[in-house]
Amino acid sequence: MIQFFHVYKTFARDVEALVDINLQVQKGEFVFLVGPSGAGKTTLLRLIFCDELPTSGQILVNGRNVCKLPGRALPSLRRSIGVIFQDFKLLRDRSISDNLALVYRVLGIPSSIGKRKVATVLKMVGLSHKAQMVPYKLSGGEQQRVAIARALMSDPSLLLADEPTGDLDSDLAADVMRLLGEINTKGTTVIVATHDTNLVRDLGRRTLLLKAGRIVEDHP
Amino acid sequence: MDRLRYIVEDALTNIRRSGWGGLASIGTIAVSFIIVGIFLIITGNLAAVVAEWKEQFQVTVFLEDGITAEQFALLKKRIQNEGAVKTMTYTSKAEALQQFKRELQGKESLLEGLGENPIPASLQLRIHETYQTPEALKQLTGSLGRLEGVEDVMYGQEWVDRVSSVIRLFRLLGLSVGLALGLASLLIVSNTIRLTVYARSEEIEIMRLVGASRLHIRAPFLLEGMIQGTLGASLALLLLFGAFRATLWQLQVTPGQVFGMGMGSFLEPRWAALMILAGAGVGAFGSLVSVGRFLRA
Repeated sequence: MIQFFHVYKTFARDVEALVDINLQVQKGEFVFLVGPSGAGKTTLLRLIFCDELPTSGQILVNGRNVCKLPGRALPSLRRSIGVIFQDFKLLRDRSISDNLALVYRVLGIPSSIGKRKVATVLKMVGLSHKAQMVPYKLSGGEQQRVAIARALMSDPSLLLADEPTGDLDSDLAADVMRLLGEINTKGTTVIVATHDTNLVRDLGRRTLLLKAGRIVEDHP
Repeated sequence: MDRLRYIVEDALTNIRRSGWGGLASIGTIAVSFIIVGIFLIITGNLAAVVAEWKEQFQVTVFLEDGITAEQFALLKKRIQNEGAVKTMTYTSKAEALQQFKRELQGKESLLEGLGENPIPASLQLRIHETYQTPEALKQLTGSLGRLEGVEDVMYGQEWVDRVSSVIRLFRLLGLSVGLALGLASLLIVSNTIRLTVYARSEEIEIMRLVGASRLHIRAPFLLEGMIQGTLGASLALLLLFGAFRATLWQLQVTPGQVFGMGMGSFLEPRWAALMILAGAGVGAFGSLVSVGRFLRA
């Protein structure tokens, strides 16, 4: 599903974010990407949904070489990938359901179908009763679940989560992980970037350890 | 169909949400277009005055008293063959005296004591507009003056020279001022819209990341800009028209009456329509430029 071949990413002033990354993720896998802040986890995720281009190397996503994707093919790639951002990226002046509606409107889905989809994903993350509230009135954990719900709106085959438990206490973090696990069991490939090694330890998932832009361990 | 509806809905929602920023855009467009509009009204009216003046313009050919019928017939033929001459009217000595008496109004006694009618007969020539340049007129009057039976040829030489140079100056001024104003309003408008787009950069970013096509991201902003531009230009026209009527009312005149000439008419409908169209265009262009900056990838 995802293949990295000798991928390097260097930012301005020779900051090496990723060095010689070789990686394969199969369809339906659940993979943790762990490592300290600045190790390159976010950069690696951004390369997958083509928010950044690699300095060198090739990346295949669903058989498509994202490095050579023409601009007009980008939207269709991004529609097949759900992304949960570290800072949630929710619109603060819109209700939860309007935040989710943004996705089906962008995709041009008829509103009758779109509204049903909003109800389904909100039920899935357990926030049906807060659909009309604005994000800043929700707790951090609830906002995180809204972000997950939005990432699920387009029925993605791949879900990328960047520090989805960042500011949450351990109980809420476990809740979020359980939710991501459920999504994975329905066939969605999930990649979770986190600095929280404790969270990962007992779950028995494949774990990639990133340090200074290199994959130093790959535990199946 | 759904896409189109979403785009229209989004544009309208954006306008509602933009609040003061949106009003600032509309206001800026309105102010720019008021300035442009004032200029258009002035130029339009001046052009009407000039056209009127050119229509009225005539060259007078005074005839010698002793001109014979053959000479007169020949002279008329020669003048009619001149390409510059549009129409020709004849005023006899008696008619000219009558006219002069009418103009003296009550001081006809001044003419008493004059034995013979001293006023010459004349031909009044209306001149085609293309020939109303100082050079062409000089040439025409020169050749008319040499014809047999002609005593003198008169036209407002100084006037023609002066008006020609004023018109040239005004055209140049109009072109440069219009160009500068157009550019300035485009800059101001695109900057104002950039502010409102910037306020929504987060939304654009999210749309981009969830897989919106460029067209889908741009279209609502484009429509919003067009609506704002149209509203701004319409507001400008409305205010201009109000101010225009108020000015005429203050001057106690009706349109078309000012200076007894073409002065005092508002913008022609096609200019007004063009202004609204230009407003929509400026708004759309301003939006496109601003949104484009957020759409690198």
